[in-house]
Amino acid sequence: MGRIGGTGMTDLLFYALSALAIWSGWRVFRVDSMIRATFALMVSFTSVGGIAVLMAADYIGVATVFMMAVEMMVMGLFMVMFMMNPAGLNPMQMVHQYKFSIAAGVLGFVGLATAVLLTNFPDNPLPENRDTLRDLGIELLGGSMLIFETAGVTLLATMVGAVALSSRRGRFGDSDAGAAPPGLHPGGEPAGRKVEKGGGHGGHGGHGGHKMNMEKTKQDSSDDPHKGHGNMSETEA
Amino acid sequence: MTLTAILIVAAALFGIGLFGALSQKSFVMLMMGLEMMLNGTLLAAVGFWAFTLEGAPKGQLLAILVMAVMAVELAIGFALVVAVYRKREADVIEGIGTMKQ
Amino acid sequence: MMTFALAFAILILVLALGIWFAAVLDGVFSRQLSGHGTAGLLAPFHASAVYLTQQRLRTEAPDQLNWFLSIAGYLSVAAIGLAVVPFGPDLAVIGLDTSVVFWGACESLIVVLVFLHGWSPNAPLSLIGAYRYVAIGLPIMLPSMFVLIAVAIPAQSLDLRDIVASQESVWNVIRQPLGLPLFLLLGLSLTLRGPFDYADSDDLAGGTSAEDSGANRAGWQVARLAMLVGFSAVASTAFLGGYLGPVLPGFVWVIIKTLVVMAIVIGLSHLLVRLPVARMLGLIWKILLPISFLDLLWAGLVALA
Repeated sequence: MGRIGGTGMTDLLFYALSALAIWSGWRVFRVDSMIRATFALMVSFTSVGGIAVLMAADYIGVATVFMMAVEMMVMGLFMVMFMMNPAGLNPMQMVHQYKFSIAAGVLGFVGLATAVLLTNFPDNPLPENRDTLRDLGIELLGGSMLIFETAGVTLLATMVGAVALSSRRGRFGDSDAGAAPPGLHPGGEPAGRKVEKGGGHGGHGGHGGHKMNMEKTKQDSSDDPHKGHGNMSETEA
Repeated sequence: MTLTAILIVAAALFGIGLFGALSQKSFVMLMMGLEMMLNGTLLAAVGFWAFTLEGAPKGQLLAILVMAVMAVELAIGFALVVAVYRKREADVIEGIGTMKQ
Repeated sequence: MMTFALAFAILILVLALGIWFAAVLDGVFSRQLSGHGTAGLLAPFHASAVYLTQQRLRTEAPDQLNWFLSIAGYLSVAAIGLAVVPFGPDLAVIGLDTSVVFWGACESLIVVLVFLHGWSPNAPLSLIGAYRYVAIGLPIMLPSMFVLIAVAIPAQSLDLRDIVASQESVWNVIRQPLGLPLFLLLGLSLTLRGPFDYADSDDLAGGTSAEDSGANRAGWQVARLAMLVGFSAVASTAFLGGYLGPVLPGFVWVIIKTLVVMAIVIGLSHLLVRLPVARMLGLIWKILLPISFLDLLWAGLVALA
């Protein structure tokens, strides 16, 4: 298979992948089911990764698929946690400023496409048989090591920040100790179960150091055996 | 597969992302719009590297940085979503209107 | 194109034989160690005949497309994982110079597919199984990727073919002893077995496959076994030297080593206990991940020495 600008097969694959990327990108914001939206975005990213592989950027293409699968997985978890209608069983339009955003999107596309069509790009194509993977490796840990290490430290700061922002136990008490459902009438008692003081989860804490803050909420559902409800046995023969 | 074709595809992805980011009410869908925009940017970066840079490795480095930015934005964005939800029980953008002071 | 089709057909045949053998081994171990389960060479065919003739039960408002895609996708990813394994010098169905990262992408796609499998029936226990699995499946990928990078260091390449070639002098299981145990744990997680079986666990009445019946169930179980075959092949390539061996031809060695790893994984899945999810999370992030860092550090020090 020829690499960039190569045979007809490459061009055909490129058009197919581009069509898939754009179509699935459009479907992201049109389907009712949120999980389908998330994984349509993943399909879009996978297509872009495929196009990158066609352009001889092997590592970037495969790494895009890798990263985006994980990211979309986490996004899917948040969909199901926070959205009221994750399966789209009751179709509803959750949009605002619809016409304005369509106009903005179209304008953005037209503006960029015009800029692309009117510019003379320099023509320095990738030489054949260039070992792009080796080049990337040597660059990452050679000339651009400062950039790479800074990105690493930034990611570390992100991890710490994400845990700090979403941690249930803060310095001044539990984070949801003050949150209660809205009252039945203004200023009145909330309906249903009363929120216990202290959030009701005294015995669990200290799960520091990881980026996936969804674990907190998920832990609630699997937490019950520790509270003695005993409806799930944990030791497996 | 010319640079122009790739950049037009990237512009289309960017436009779709912009539409999504501006139109969606829910936080999570808003973040999907932002990811879509970065998707277009990633494709454009790789396209420029392949066609105009003669394979200089710094082009690939830019693509990797775009991916790192995506990861950072997603992580902090979702941490903020969780924090805002805990404080105000809000999962749509209208719910945090009171942050405007 | 023709050679690719032929190679792919042979791959599917090898995969089918591997699936059958894994099912038989699973039955044998289950019978020996816990006393229930069916052992016997034809037992897998009996089981699949039962599943295929069963009536398919429907849940309320399932996501049919994703249900089908998750099962078909799981099987495809298993086949693709097997396709990057070299059966001889420069003899892999898909020859990439980034095979290790490609395999990592397959791992992450599996987490996605298992989640979709738990999401699609629109049932509570399935969704709980899916959530538990994501909580475990995402972090367990990290030690596995570090271990694979450690394997790639002596080979100075991310290509599985070069990794095998670098094991001419000594196998990676000997010069990087922490690697294979950690990688086997990943295998247990990818194939939803034993201590990492949070997705299909018995304490969730079957978890993500709680609502599976009929052909769906057969498909999912076959896909799990196919993943076991694919994973064992990759593990034997990365750590046990792949097609390297004295007397027999290369692909016979690959098959023998794959079967050995498969037997070990199936044995571990019946012998190791499953911890509560919170404890397992703590175990992965606080113990397994630092051990994989040690493994990587060790490989780096050996390479620099």
